[in-house]
Amino acid sequence: MSAIQLRHLTKTFGDFTALKTMDLEIADGEFMALLGPSGCGKSTTMNMIAGMEEPSSGNILFGERDMAGVPMGRRGVGFVFQNYAIFTHMTVRQNLAYGPRMRGATKAEIDRRVGAIAELLQLTPLLDRKADRLSVNILQRVAIGRSAIMEPAIFLLDEPLSNVDAAFRAVMRTELKQLQRQFRQTMVYVTHDQLEAMTMADRIAVMDHGVLQQVGTPLEVYNNPANVFVARFIGAPGMNLLKGRPAQSDRGLVIDLGPLGITPPLPDELATTLRAARGDVLYGFRPEQVALAPDRRGLAMPVTFVERIGARTIVHLGEGEGTVKAVFDNDVGLSIGQTAAVAPTAAAVRVFDAASGVAMKAG
Amino acid sequence: MDARTKPALRDEGARLGFRLTLPAQILVLFISAFPLLMQLYISVTDWSPLSGLGWWNAWEMWNSFANYTDLAADARFWSALKRTAIVMVVCVPAEFLLGLALATLFADDFPGKRIFYSILLMPMMVVPAVAGYMFFMLFQSGGPVNDILSSLTGSPVTIAWLSDPTLALIAVMIADIWQWTPLMFLILLAGLVGVPEDQIKAATLLGANPWQRFTTIVLPKMKTIIVIALAIRVIENFKIFDTLYIMTGGGPGVATETISVYIYKVTTQDLIWGYVAAIALAILVVLSIVAVFAMKRMARTKQVAA
Repeated sequence: MSAIQLRHLTKTFGDFTALKTMDLEIADGEFMALLGPSGCGKSTTMNMIAGMEEPSSGNILFGERDMAGVPMGRRGVGFVFQNYAIFTHMTVRQNLAYGPRMRGATKAEIDRRVGAIAELLQLTPLLDRKADRLSVNILQRVAIGRSAIMEPAIFLLDEPLSNVDAAFRAVMRTELKQLQRQFRQTMVYVTHDQLEAMTMADRIAVMDHGVLQQVGTPLEVYNNPANVFVARFIGAPGMNLLKGRPAQSDRGLVIDLGPLGITPPLPDELATTLRAARGDVLYGFRPEQVALAPDRRGLAMPVTFVERIGARTIVHLGEGEGTVKAVFDNDVGLSIGQTAAVAPTAAAVRVFDAASGVAMKAG
Repeated sequence: MDARTKPALRDEGARLGFRLTLPAQILVLFISAFPLLMQLYISVTDWSPLSGLGWWNAWEMWNSFANYTDLAADARFWSALKRTAIVMVVCVPAEFLLGLALATLFADDFPGKRIFYSILLMPMMVVPAVAGYMFFMLFQSGGPVNDILSSLTGSPVTIAWLSDPTLALIAVMIADIWQWTPLMFLILLAGLVGVPEDQIKAATLLGANPWQRFTTIVLPKMKTIIVIALAIRVIENFKIFDTLYIMTGGGPGVATETISVYIYKVTTQDLIWGYVAAIALAILVVLSIVAVFAMKRMARTKQVAA
């Protein structure tokens, strides 16, 4: 097991900067998800940790050891590829035995280790099956087993679930998380699927355009996004953001949203921060943390679309820049054309600087 | 009722299919089966175009398999066959190993790759007869090959390449390797590029060195394409003729007389066509065995890959 430190890690391909001075510490035994849209630099980061690519500048440390110049075969890293990269011309047993065999382990040693890992992953009955006709969850186990047999300090997983059909993903997620508990290795998991990151990771590193946006536990990232990108990216649908300007009212500090009216008063801690601020802000709140305001004190907006997806109802409100989505647990009886007044739960309101997009911290 | 209509319908479908493909089947019959049967027929006669009979009347010259018994005792035939085998055993592995080495080189990027690639493929585009003249000139005793050897050794070299029985065979094989290594290279490169990169990376991460990666991942993945490439070259090389014939004419003496050259001479000089048909049929059987073996192998790998 080993902690990972990324220090000012940068990777450029010609003029294109794939990763910009990334600093990240991953604790020993931690499950860290690198989350972001495609092209955000998450795979580049992973490939550099594995040694498949050399950083343009910056360092990667495993524990205290600098990995610069250490070839990928010697890093003690287990890598699970997006398509698992199982050796299809071999049997499951040959796949599992590959690492030890290449390092010249004795036959008895190989048999012992393959036996142990197959038992652990429940692959024993499949050992002599050809690896090209296995179902995807077996492939995942073989891929993990093939790396795990080398007892790597670090496990890297590159979107292993992206080729799996949606119905099966939940099963695979559970299995993967259980496997991590078994092996207790440091795991770095690259994904663009926030559901995977939220459900499995201890912490999430959200990335965009080669820049690390925020690192935190799934709930931290969800509840307190560091900036507008994270606010929009995390959550389905993402956070509502409305442009406005702080204003004083008789009920306390509010935000003047222009044609949409005035927001309910902000909580005191936020109000204190905002009084010192200048310029436009973005008023943000999660679609799940919205209530209908019968007293019309909320934001009155026309209903433009209603999505009923069984357990939840997503109501789209407003048009143009000032659109809001609201998620309700039950069918609230709104239909297109009606006007609804919605108010975010006071504690769930987040405010961002409109110019920089950075969250304005309370207090 | 259902059980009875279904086979009936299927029969009708099959009958319609047969009628629709009949013209094509007749055509195929004429192209492949007819010449073969004609050959078989002539091969048991003494017929020749000078015999004054139409080939269909060749039965009048029936010689009760004498062609085949003659063939079994024909020392010139057997030595031509042996020579062909020697050429094949040298040329095909040489072309394969060179092609594989070049393919491995070209699987990675290096400066000027595209230009070298085009240059490398050029020999294959040269008309074999022209290649024959090229090598005929190169291997003259006052030719460039000797010039180069002279400047390398520092003393004048005047080897009579094409008049020495052993050297002539070597010269012919060099020409064949020059011309057909590119084909091997091209096929093997296609196979090499098709090896999944992820699996190679996975092997690297598991600690395999380049040689181990090559033997445990790359070669097994290329098995089918290697069999195809070898089969193509074995069959083609067995029929080696044009380049060779222009370079040496099968000589000196019979030193470079391969099966094709032998057949050509028997056909055009001796004009005993019944005998030629027997030789050609014997070779067809040999080549068919090679092809069947290769195809079986391919079918098996394909089954495993599916």
